[in-house]
Amino acid sequence: MKGAFGMGEKLVITNNIRKLRFFANEMTQLELAEKAGASRQTIMALEAGKYLPSLELAFKIANAFDVPIGEVFECKKEEGNQK
Amino acid sequence: MSYNSKKNIVSMVAGLLTVTAYIVYVCAGNAPTTDDIVAWARLMLVFIGIGVGAVIVIQILFHVAFAIGVAVKERDKDGAKTEKLVASSMVEDERDKLISLKSSHIGYIAAGIGVVAALIALASGVSFVVSLHVIFGSFAVGSLVEGIAGIILHERGVRNG
Repeated sequence: MKGAFGMGEKLVITNNIRKLRFFANEMTQLELAEKAGASRQTIMALEAGKYLPSLELAFKIANAFDVPIGEVFECKKEEGNQK
Repeated sequence: MSYNSKKNIVSMVAGLLTVTAYIVYVCAGNAPTTDDIVAWARLMLVFIGIGVGAVIVIQILFHVAFAIGVAVKERDKDGAKTEKLVASSMVEDERDKLISLKSSHIGYIAAGIGVVAALIALASGVSFVVSLHVIFGSFAVGSLVEGIAGIILHERGVRNG
């Protein structure tokens, strides 16, 4: 199946939270944290790539920006594993 | 450094102070006789209670100091915004719960190793009082290890799964 990820393949998940915050009337991390029901530290960790959220939090963040979840988070195969 | 990392450090310091107080108390000539296991157990229970109380009091003081620190730092901003900033730092969300779970797991392993070491010591003929101290120490070490693990996970990051 095209685009499928095989077992054992490493995925790199990135996010566009910082960019989306900027375009959402320069929303602050604190404002996003309040909308998503998380702490500001968690938003900071997400933007720095130090944390991968649960599905629930990912959807809450997408809802906070009023965009589909796919616009917030992107998934790629780790370089070297790409075909 | 995040609020949670600082909170972990404060807890660790409180724990270390309790252990230090116990050592100082025992070395100052207040130790029960070597074979009086009941007296040693009671003494340890008292210091465990003191330790729990100390952690609670120090955490409250830290919380107040943190709030004052944020208020001073953000004094040019609206009071309501400062309040939100403080509240947001103290929210325990999924990431904090995940880090707490992982660091507790690591702490339990450390404490477990200490308990096994105490059993090995007993099996080797070491006195029960010494083994009791190894167990007491292993809980202290486990708590310390849990705090360090929490700080590392907060600062370096953690993944779900």
